[in-house]
Amino acid sequence: MDSFFYTIILAGAVAGASTGFLGVYLVGMRIPFIGICISHAAMAGTILAVLLGVNPVFGAMALSVLTATSMAAIPPEKSRLDTNAGLAILFSLMLGLTFLGMGLVKDSRNEILGLLWGNILFVSGESVMVIVATAIVLAVFAMLFNKELKVILFSRQIAAATGVHSGLVYGLFLALCGLIISINIKLIGGMMIFSLITNPAAAAYQLCRGHRSLVLTATVFGMLSAVIGFGISFYLDLPTGACIVLVSTAIFGLSLLARRFRQGD
Amino acid sequence: MAGVSLDVSGVKVVRSSRTILDIQRLQIPAGQFVHIIGTNGAGKTTLMKILCGLLAPDTGHIHFGSTCMTALNSWSKSNLRRHIGYIPQSAEYNSHLPFTVREVAAMGRSSVRPLLTRLNRSDYAIVDQWLQAVGLGDRSGQTFSSLSGGEQQKVLIARAMAQQPSVLMLDEPTSSLDINWKLQIIDLIRRLTAKLNLTTVMISHDIQSLLRKEDRTVLLHAGRVAIDGLAQTVFESSLVRDIYPGLTPQWNNSPDSSPGGD
Repeated sequence: MDSFFYTIILAGAVAGASTGFLGVYLVGMRIPFIGICISHAAMAGTILAVLLGVNPVFGAMALSVLTATSMAAIPPEKSRLDTNAGLAILFSLMLGLTFLGMGLVKDSRNEILGLLWGNILFVSGESVMVIVATAIVLAVFAMLFNKELKVILFSRQIAAATGVHSGLVYGLFLALCGLIISINIKLIGGMMIFSLITNPAAAAYQLCRGHRSLVLTATVFGMLSAVIGFGISFYLDLPTGACIVLVSTAIFGLSLLARRFRQGD
Repeated sequence: MAGVSLDVSGVKVVRSSRTILDIQRLQIPAGQFVHIIGTNGAGKTTLMKILCGLLAPDTGHIHFGSTCMTALNSWSKSNLRRHIGYIPQSAEYNSHLPFTVREVAAMGRSSVRPLLTRLNRSDYAIVDQWLQAVGLGDRSGQTFSSLSGGEQQKVLIARAMAQQPSVLMLDEPTSSLDINWKLQIIDLIRRLTAKLNLTTVMISHDIQSLLRKEDRTVLLHAGRVAIDGLAQTVFESSLVRDIYPGLTPQWNNSPDSSPGGD
């Protein structure tokens, strides 16, 4: 095995860990759908960038961050709009922009379609560095705002009513979600990143007691999903994204069984 | 930790050309326990949001002690809210999450500590002290979701008290509890707030069982203060009999609920 193999393993592990971590909050706040919404924003951003003749990566990042942070503009105590309904509206807007852009793009659509399905095998050394850097930013953010994130996860209403600067922290968190998802979809794909956000976190919720254990378990489960999934695809010559998603689903299934088994004791 | 006064003057909230709150004057002295009652749509929750600074009125002012809340920007308002303990209805929090009892209670300290700081040992000492005070000191490692509804409300009381607030806002804190838990929770709140001289504003629909004759009670009707006085006086009015036909209050005067009693 050459260094390329280890680069892919590293990229997958870090991407899985980041999305697993994000999932704790997105699943806990019942908005994991934001994953699929942002990945479509990344596709729309890529297309708009191609049409405007600017770097597609920046287009994807900019529209993803904008889409994610726009959710923070809907404070629960002031709005009649349910967060998931808001996400559905944003999703349909991004889907519409994506298809409209695809109709207008005259050249190759491979870059856009590549974002939809992702391909870990085409990851470059440069993109691994970006993935690792954003994961470090996420870890630092989580350490700095740990106490605020916990309250927001428990109740945004309580956080707002008792002087936690929830609007700022929630907005920054969503911006980071946008950034991390837009960077990682090249590897995992827009469709499958949704599974890596939801499954590891949902599995951790079955097994853990306490916030720290929850965050660590979801992060490790995300990492394991990516690494084991890649290993299976490598040795059995199967599609990588599909293997990663199926492993993460299996981890959730096993966690569910473990919980039932523990309750049955 | 000591109560501060609240003063609402000339406050009006209008939505879609409908006046949903119109309060000329409502003064709550420091350390007073006030019930806000009224039917659904009377403006109770809007008033609480205004008192918490979560909603800006179209006109008027709210003074939190000597600070005019309406003159503050949103950052300063958020800082001021650190002095407000808030106990919500059960629907307003994610009770299914596997937070431990101690983690939930410690969230009260998150309001006190500024951004970019961590909770320290003294914070957790305060949290443990309040968990002991509400009788859950030995269950701090359990998950919040494994507790009964009444026990969960006790944890939220510990959370609010760990914040060392000046004002306690309660939005139907007993709405999902059976009558025994309702009485236990309200007695605990009365005891703690009286001991610490906290200003307490409580919205409740459980007026039949939770009020005491000498409680200050404000009846909101169609967004206005219809009656403001002692509970016994309020319930003798014809308006209350019209709004709550057939209501007979069972005054909550158990010895355990006396202010300052332990």
